[in-house]
Amino acid sequence: MRSVASKQTNGRPERLSPERLAELTHPPKYKTVEERRAALKAATEGLRFKVRVTRDMYRPR
Amino acid sequence: MTPLGRRQPATRGVFAIEQEELLLPDPIALDTSFVVEALVATQPLHGICSPCLAHIFESGVSVATSELLRVELAEAVFANALKERWGRQWRRHRTDGRSRARAGRLLDRTEARYEKMLASLTHISIPLGDITTAATTFMREYGLASYDAAHAASAIAAGAEAIVTVDTGFALLPASLLTIYTDRSRLASCRTKRPR
Repeated sequence: MRSVASKQTNGRPERLSPERLAELTHPPKYKTVEERRAALKAATEGLRFKVRVTRDMYRPR
Repeated sequence: MTPLGRRQPATRGVFAIEQEELLLPDPIALDTSFVVEALVATQPLHGICSPCLAHIFESGVSVATSELLRVELAEAVFANALKERWGRQWRRHRTDGRSRARAGRLLDRTEARYEKMLASLTHISIPLGDITTAATTFMREYGLASYDAAHAASAIAAGAEAIVTVDTGFALLPASLLTIYTDRSRLASCRTKRPR
C-alpha cells in the first residue's frame, strides 16, 4: 500500500516510507564518476536563451 | 571576526549557496528556480547555481525533486519562445501556434540537459499524488503558494532537510520544517519572511 506524506507528527508532515522512497529512487545512469562528472558539465554548459527566464513564466504567484 | 557587542544575525535556517564550506544534507531537494539557473547559461545566477550543482555532485548526496519540476521547466521554455516572438504581449498569444516549433526545439535541448543532470546523480522523484495532502496543509497553515507548497511537501516527503532555491516563497515555512539554501542576495529577504 502506498504510504503518503499526509500523516503528521506535531504538525510536521512525515517522509514517505523507506519502501516507497526506494521505489522512487533512481541511481545515476552513468557508471563511472568521470562519466557522471562529464555529463553534469555538459548539462550545465551551452544552453542559451534569447530571453531571460523569470519566475512568472513558469509559476503563478 | 564579529565586532564586540554586535550579535551575529540569526540564520533562521537560511544559508548562502556561495559558501564554499556549505554542508549538504542527504538527500537535498532542488527547486525549479535553481535548476533553471543552473542549466541555462544565459540566466543571471548561472555563475552561482551551476557551481553549486557541481558541489552537490562532488558531495555525493542524492537530490530530490517534485515531478512538477519537469512540467515547470517545459512551461518556462514555452513561455520563453512566446516571449521571444511577442515580447511583453506574450501571454495574449498563448494559443498562437507559430511559436510552437521554436518552443519544441528549445524544449528538446533543455530536456536533454535536464536528463543528463539527473543521470549523473542519485535522484528521488516525488509524484504529486504522494504529497497533495501535505501541500494543501502548507498552503492552509503557512500561506505558501500552491506550486511552492508542492515542492516543499515533496522535499519533506523525500526526507530532505533542505531545499536549494532562488525563490523566497519557501521562507514562509518555519525553519524547523525546511532549511533553505539560496543565493546571497536573497538571504535577508528569506530570513525576514520566516515565521517567528
